[in-house]
Amino acid sequence: MAVADAKIPRSARDDRRRLIDLSGPALAAVVALLAVMIVLPMGWLVVYAFATKDGQATLGNFVTLFTDPSFVDPLLATLLLSVSVSGLCCLVAAPMGWLAARTDMPLARTVRTLVMASLVTPPFVGAVAWEMLAAPNSGLLNQLWRLVTGAPSDEALFDIYTMQGLIFAIACYTFPYVFILVANALDRMPGELEDASSMLGAGTWATARRITIPLALPTLLAGALVAFLQALNQFGSPAILAIPAGFHTLTTKIWSLFQFPPKPELAAATSLPLLLLTVALLRSQAAILGRRGYAVLGGKYGAPRPIRLGAWRWAAAAFALLVLAMPLFLPYAALINTAFSRISSQLLGPETFTLHNVVFTFWQLSSTLPALQNTFLLATATATLGGVLALLIAYIVARQAVVGHRILGFLATSPLAIPGIVLGVGLFLAYTRPPLTLYGTLWILLIAFITVELPQAYQQLGSAFHSVHPELEEASRMLGATRLRALKDITAPLLRSAAIATWCFIFVGVIRELSAAVILFTSETKVLSVLIFDLKESGDVGAIAVLSLTMVILTTVVIVIANRIGGAYEARVPTRVGA
Amino acid sequence: MASVELKGLGKRYGEAVAVDNVSLLIGHGQLVCLLGPSGCGKTTTLRLIAGFIEPSTGEIAVGGKVLSSPQRTVPPEGRAMSMIFQSYALWPHMTVAENVAYGLRIRKMDKATIDAKLTAILSTTKLEPLAQRYPGELSGGQQQRVSLARALVVEPETLLLDEPLSNLDANLREEMRFEIRRLHDRYRYTTVYVTHDQAEAMTTADQIAVMNLGRIEQLGTPKEIYDRPRSVFVARFIGGSNILEGKAVDAGHISVAGGTLATTGRTLTKGEAVAVSIRQHEIEIATKSDSANALHAVVSRQVFLGAARDYTVVLDDKTELRVTASPTQDIAPGQEVWLRLPAERCRALTGGNER
Repeated sequence: MAVADAKIPRSARDDRRRLIDLSGPALAAVVALLAVMIVLPMGWLVVYAFATKDGQATLGNFVTLFTDPSFVDPLLATLLLSVSVSGLCCLVAAPMGWLAARTDMPLARTVRTLVMASLVTPPFVGAVAWEMLAAPNSGLLNQLWRLVTGAPSDEALFDIYTMQGLIFAIACYTFPYVFILVANALDRMPGELEDASSMLGAGTWATARRITIPLALPTLLAGALVAFLQALNQFGSPAILAIPAGFHTLTTKIWSLFQFPPKPELAAATSLPLLLLTVALLRSQAAILGRRGYAVLGGKYGAPRPIRLGAWRWAAAAFALLVLAMPLFLPYAALINTAFSRISSQLLGPETFTLHNVVFTFWQLSSTLPALQNTFLLATATATLGGVLALLIAYIVARQAVVGHRILGFLATSPLAIPGIVLGVGLFLAYTRPPLTLYGTLWILLIAFITVELPQAYQQLGSAFHSVHPELEEASRMLGATRLRALKDITAPLLRSAAIATWCFIFVGVIRELSAAVILFTSETKVLSVLIFDLKESGDVGAIAVLSLTMVILTTVVIVIANRIGGAYEARVPTRVGA
Repeated sequence: MASVELKGLGKRYGEAVAVDNVSLLIGHGQLVCLLGPSGCGKTTTLRLIAGFIEPSTGEIAVGGKVLSSPQRTVPPEGRAMSMIFQSYALWPHMTVAENVAYGLRIRKMDKATIDAKLTAILSTTKLEPLAQRYPGELSGGQQQRVSLARALVVEPETLLLDEPLSNLDANLREEMRFEIRRLHDRYRYTTVYVTHDQAEAMTTADQIAVMNLGRIEQLGTPKEIYDRPRSVFVARFIGGSNILEGKAVDAGHISVAGGTLATTGRTLTKGEAVAVSIRQHEIEIATKSDSANALHAVVSRQVFLGAARDYTVVLDDKTELRVTASPTQDIAPGQEVWLRLPAERCRALTGGNER
């Protein structure tokens, strides 16, 4: 709002009046935009869920949902999946986070970096890689096992196409969220709280049991909820692993309802429980983390003393690296193997090395270039437009520039609670009809991506605004600068790195997005993630591996740039739902 | 209870020396303050005594038993000590009662004993009405008392306090100073108290060890430290001293700013550079030269403070001195005066280069 208003008179009073004059319409415009992006699709979702094919009001969709086994089974499978993933993640991530944050485990920094690196991997890429490793017949690990033990060719050690396999594959890319939460909480926990316990005679384990663990417990619980949400809303991994295994989760079920013949009412009805569950879980997570009794008190705190593991130091590091083999070392070995090997199920060697897959993917596969173009176009446009929108909202809310700024903050964060696939369904329902028939264009994907990325972008920029104390602006205005001049001279330079980092993270988020795109794409508007997913159908693993690696490299480069500029990846990590 | 003895204690972090050859004997039931500016090594010394860090050289013995040496350090939990932290370090997930009883539980006492001791200490520290509150619901002073109660209830051999009052506001700080001394007089634990606040040290300590650059610069009772500072650093750090720099003319006189002063404190060697300290209120301002040990000066500024007048005067060699005079003595800036410096107050110091 203020940006458009460059030729204002120098007088500060005049400047303020102009700003307030403009702020009403500006607020209205932003609210209207958010309504189009969020309220309208969610509204249609609810309408469809309670309607028959012909538009009559009904509860029949929900009766089907809760009685028809083809819906009840996915519901139960999803709950089993989410609970198991959540439990497994805590089991692995809590001790690992503690080792990295509180002990003298060697390579602790490396472990932390590698955990972050495993988050860079889109979960569905991980699922594809685990297929290459642990499919019953062609899986590399199974072949290795048969080679070593001489077992017959129809026997397999691992089968990734099972519920256990799916739990494992999702946990691989979910435990980092829990790890980061736990490790950061332990980092922030003042060492003196443990020192005080030692002084009173408690040994290392008594202190851990009575002080450290109880203090970390709320964080772990929040981490468990994050893991649960991830598993609940993930589309890619279940689509890749559960469907061949012969079962559905809620997300894949919703997706299948869009395959021919489409049943959008049932899809909408299936989306609602997913949406409500997500909202409820996010609320309880916020409640747990915000509990007053656990707020650490103010004052000057020293850094914690690391706990000495003695002879166990290297065992601890080995454990951490073994865990990291699951999301990182093994999958990337498999992807590289498949990308550069003549036959994907053979190990890469000098004789089997080939660039055929690379050549094929980029020069012969006709859909690669359009998909890359679409992805770049959408990522750039989303990052730019979404970033500006987030900046605007963050400014209005942080400086409380207009009455009603709270509504804006709420709307901007609300997509956090909307699983990608649910948003996809809502947008599909809202924009396959006049007045805005956007389905089949890149616009609908743009709206979807901006909506998905808005909460993180807003939160990141909002906290950046909070770190620039209003007095800094006021000091500039006391010296005679107008409000705009103060924004330009003081606030903008202080926010620049945060804004660039946000841009990069939105860009990366768009490249990785699959679950909304998979509902909204048409053959003309394929993006990279959808292309990889589509190639699964044709079974072209070489091209899948090349594209997956391309995606990861692209993502990594942008993230490294963003980190160089000064954004913190952690800032956006724990809240992302349903990639 | 037992004495605490530091023998040639040193702690190095790479090249940096945090504590440098500190020796100190703290007798049974004594309260010793480690006093010094930030970075002087006082907190490191305390954490060495607590067993959180290991010495690079020297050793720490409690009751004749060596607890810390470069070869072997008994962990904090094995030392029967208590510590009060600058941040209080109250556990936010436990109530006041749970915080205080923690050490007793760790010692596996039976419930009746724990309850009795808990009730007693809560009453001594006036915390009974707050027993079921969480630390987050207490004021700073209340948190401070919880932290005292938690440390005292286990009846430690040694009590360590790390800047315990620095997070309190001025009024409360004064009150808690006396509170700490009161509790010490009552329980008589051997106590080491780290602070950078001179008044805090003066109120609470039996002995003060003034620390600078990792070493103990001077050890003595508060009165000794105040009346007879040994070095320029101590003189400056403890209660506003003026420092005069001159040259010894014989064993008991120096020449400074065109005059001669008789000094006390140590025997001087003729010709050496000598720093002399004298406190602001020990100097007398006169309008004429009528005594020995007087120096000529010009008033550059004076401020009326109600109970006193604060003068800034300049000697002939441009040295600035501060003088606290009677409020009735009103001399305008620019006027020439004579300063009377009583010989028994002009203390010749050592260590003229460190300040």
